This record gives sequence, structure tokens and C-alpha cells, in this order.
Amino acid sequence: MSIFVDIAPEDTVPEIEAARPNRWRERSVRAALPVVSVVVFFVVWQLAAASGIWNQTFVPYPSTVWHAFIDISTTHDGVRGYAGYLLWEHLYMTLRRGLAGVVIGVVIGVTLGLVMGSIRWVRSVLEPWLTFLRALPPLAYFFLLVIWLGIDEAPKITLLALAALPPAAVATTAAVVAAPVGLQEAARALGATRGQVIRDVVVPSALPETFTGIRLAVGMAYSSVVAAELFNGIPGVGGLVKDASNYNNTPVVLVGIFAIGISGLVIDGLLRAVERRSVPWRGKI
Amino acid sequence: MKFKALIAALAASALALAGCSVDKSEQAADKPTIRIGYQTFPSGDLIVKHNRWLEEALPDYNIKWTKFDSGADVNTAFVAKELDFGALGSSPVARGLSAPLNIPYKVAFVLDVAGDNEALVARDGSGVNTIADLKGKRVATPFASTAHYSLLAALEQNGLSPKDVALVDLQPQAILAAFERGDIDAGYSWLPTLDELRKHGKDLITSAQLAEAGKPTLDLAVVSDEFAEAHPEVVDVWRQQQARALDLINNDPQAAATAIAAEIGLTPEEVATQLKQVGFLTPQQIASPEWLGTDGKPGNLAVNLQSASQFLADQKQIPEAASLSTFENAIYTKGLPGVLTQ
Repeated sequence: MSIFVDIAPEDTVPEIEAARPNRWRERSVRAALPVVSVVVFFVVWQLAAASGIWNQTFVPYPSTVWHAFIDISTTHDGVRGYAGYLLWEHLYMTLRRGLAGVVIGVVIGVTLGLVMGSIRWVRSVLEPWLTFLRALPPLAYFFLLVIWLGIDEAPKITLLALAALPPAAVATTAAVVAAPVGLQEAARALGATRGQVIRDVVVPSALPETFTGIRLAVGMAYSSVVAAELFNGIPGVGGLVKDASNYNNTPVVLVGIFAIGISGLVIDGLLRAVERRSVPWRGKI
Repeated sequence: MKFKALIAALAASALALAGCSVDKSEQAADKPTIRIGYQTFPSGDLIVKHNRWLEEALPDYNIKWTKFDSGADVNTAFVAKELDFGALGSSPVARGLSAPLNIPYKVAFVLDVAGDNEALVARDGSGVNTIADLKGKRVATPFASTAHYSLLAALEQNGLSPKDVALVDLQPQAILAAFERGDIDAGYSWLPTLDELRKHGKDLITSAQLAEAGKPTLDLAVVSDEFAEAHPEVVDVWRQQQARALDLINNDPQAAATAIAAEIGLTPEEVATQLKQVGFLTPQQIASPEWLGTDGKPGNLAVNLQSASQFLADQKQIPEAASLSTFENAIYTKGLPGVLTQ
């Protein structure tokens, strides 16, 4: 589920000026590896399609998928994209829903996490509910959201917010609980009030892990977009994937999957950049 | 040590769970298996299944029934060569027989013709009284279904294009929810949700009227080419059981309703009301030129499927419509009409 979060620490390579040529080689290798893996992937895909073992419906040629991509992205023969919308419009709607859902989910989740981490009885009260919510697959309760909230934007955004909330809350709670007691006591001994301790000690030390929680939350929300766009999801990439699979239209399904996956990678990259800027003290407390 | 024991316990329980199965169909290893995909719309298929007629008539085979929720899923299963027989609507069949799917299967039976059991209902208070009033309104239907096909045919009949209305893709139960909340102005759906829609709205057109106007939608049963060639005698037995089920529906609707009710979890009374609204043919009608036709002379069904294929091409869901001869070749007429009454 933690699709976007890799565990490897960020650039902790020590700066050694003397080993400059080595560093260059290392860098070029590191840049080349992902490219190589992508190339290998496409070669294997082409071979699998050309081998004819599987029907075109299961494994279409890369070129077929490319043509589908072009068709969805342009107006051709008087048809505009897929179902009347271009690919970027589908993607824009999905991102907009995702953003709204994640903002709501993360704001509520982080606030809950702060409170739960600082006040023990609140944690005891809320923890079972969070775990309950976290265990539910969105598809299980989406129909209820449709009955309660209709078929427009409200149920979709609510679903994404509900998907994003638990990881943000759980990570923040854990981070707040783990704030170093020594530092807190030192601050108290120096005369800081409870509020000051939370602001100046607990929050800064909890922030790096909270960011991981936020990245997880974005991943969870993003992996729920197809579920969220199951009803009346067009325009939207999730709706596009669902509609195309209704018609056994595999190339379009693959274009949708690539659109979701690649935009997910980009979003995660942006979040990581933000994380590096805003919590440079990660791993250094 | 403790950790290792835990891992071992986990592995053991995973294996034990994987071995457990709640599959009720008994499968003998020494008999070949016939794989049948069915759906839960009321039809003779469910009577054959519930009364175990196939199991009785073909004691030398295992019969494996698998439930599907849509024709698209049945098509996928055929592409994967996981099914020998399948039940699906005329739209999915037209799609399956056209490029790029080109599924090697043949239409071997007409399960039913959609009648008043599928209809376009306008919500009370939406101000819609005729189909022409739908212009600019929100209309919901499950996309890629026979109802979707019927809705667009009804719009076309009244000089509207799909762009003139706001079409929404919803499954029947969601149509009901959106209908009651006032989120949509009309919906094309089927029983049993249709009954609920009718409580708060009125029919604009039914599939029975569209059938009269030359745009019928059907539920068909197909058999894979490979299976039909290898076991033509099994296909004969299967068609006879389907014909027997149709006779039961036409002659003893109460017994038919009881069997179907047991399969779809409704009361026999509810099913009996539904059955009255569905068009069931007689075996003689099925083997008439209007539908399947007779051996070597495929009937009018091919024309109907070709027009459904053309419709999908117009919707840009397939690159181009398949030719009439493709559909004529895809109708399994072997032994008709005599074989049905043996």
C-alpha cells in the first residue's frame, strides 16, 4: 500500500572532495539505471506482445497503447479525446479531487494525530476507530457515500479524504509519542510552558515522520481514485479506466494506468522535495 | 526462537487456509468439466441451473457454474479461454464478435427479449413528460449495457444525439439512490430497481416498444467454437435443456418463478411479476427466421447484432462494425429446429 514511499534514506552520501571522478561515475550509473529498467521493460513488453501467446486484449503492442494515448490526447475525426474529454482534462479533474481529498484528510489527520499523541485518553478513545477505518477497503463503503452524498463531487472527495486520514493520523501520533523525553524535560526544566514544549520541541521532532505519513496518505488517496470515480467518474482518469474496461478496451485502460502511475511518481517527487526543504533536520535529532 | 515459531505458525496456517475451500460444486477428477458462465437476470438459464437438469442429462461431465455481473466480464473470461458456455446481452455479444476482440464463440440460444422489464423512467417533478423533454437533462444508465444501447436508440428516435443530454454512468442500485435524491432526472434501468423507480416516476419508453420499432435488445447464450466442434452432442443436450426451461416458463410460470427465486434471492411472487414483463420466446420461435433461423440459414438475429455492432462503432467503442456475414457465421444453427424438440 505504501507504493510511493521508499525506505532508502535520502542522499546521505558523505561529501568527499577527493573522490571526484568516482562520484561522477556513481552519479551517471545512478541516473542510467532507471532508464535501463524502463528500456528493458518496453523490450520485454514488445516481445511478449509479438510472441502471440496472449490475445491482443490482454497484451496489446506498445505501439497500440501509444496510438490510444495520442487518440485520447487529441481531437481526431471530430471525436474529442475519450468520452468527450482530453487526457489532460481527465487527469486535471482527478488531481483536483485528489488534492481536495488529501488536504481535508491530512489536515484532520495531522490535527487528530497531534491531539492523540499528546493526550493519552483521547488516544485510547480514537485509536480503535482509526484502525477500523484503516481496515476498510474504500469500495466497501463507497456505495453508502453515494446514498448519503449523491453522485457528484462530494462522495468522491469524502472517499479520498477518508483514505488519506488514517495514515496521516497514525504517523503523527507515533511521531509525537516518540518525541525525545530528554529534550522535553530539559525544556520544562528551563521554564518552558506545556504549549511552548509542544511548539518548540514536540512538533519539530515529529515533523519528519509526519511528512512520511503525509506521503503515505497521498499514496493511499491516489490508489483509491479508481474506486472514487466508479460512479459518474467522467471526466476523471479513474472513470476513464473503469469505462474502458467495461468495453474490454485494454489500450485505453493501460493509458489510464500509466497516467495514474506517472502522475503519482511526479507528485511523490514534489512531496520529497518539499520535505527536504522544510525539514532539513530529519535524522539529525 | 519465538520469532521463528511465529513465522512457522503463520506459514502453516496460511497453507491450511489455502487448502480450505467453500466451493460447493462437486468435481470428480476423472470426468471432463463443462464451464458455464451465468448472470442473475431472470431466465431459463437459472432454471436449468437450479433444477440441475444439465447435471442429470450429462452424468459423464462435471458442470461448473460461475456467476458473472456483466457481459464485459463474460467476454473477458471467453478471451481467457475459461468458459465453454456463457450468458450475456446482445450488446456485449456484438462487441465480442467484432474487432478487436473477435472472440471465437457462437450464439446458440436466445434466453429472452427485453420487454417491459427494462425502461426509461422520468422522475416526478423533473418536468420531463416525453423523451424530447430530456434535452439538457441528466439521464443515468449503466454504460456498456443493453439499457445504454436502448437509451441511445430512444434518443435517436426522437431526434436527440447523446450530446444533447448529460449522460451519467451509474449501476442500477446507484441510479435508484441518485433518483430518490433528485440528482438525476431520468434513468434507463431494469428490474428489480426499475419497480422502485416507477414508484416515483413514469415510463417514457420501454424496451418492448423499442423492440417493436426494430431495436430489440436480447439476452443470449453463447458457446465457444472450440467446445462446439469437439462436443456437438453436449451442445444439443444443453439446447434441449434450455428449451425445456422456456417451456416451463411459458406453461408453468409458478414453478419457473420458484426455481429462479431460489437462485437470485427474491420471493417467488416478485419473480413471477418480473417474468410477466420479460419477453420469453417459445423454442419454435427461436428456430424461426426471425431469430436464430434453421440449419444453414441463419435468421434475422444476425442483422440485429450487426446493427448493434454499427452502433458501437458510432459510439467509437470499436474501430469499425463487423460485416453481416461475420454475424451470420456466428449463429449456431446446427440441427435447428428439430434438435430443440428431441
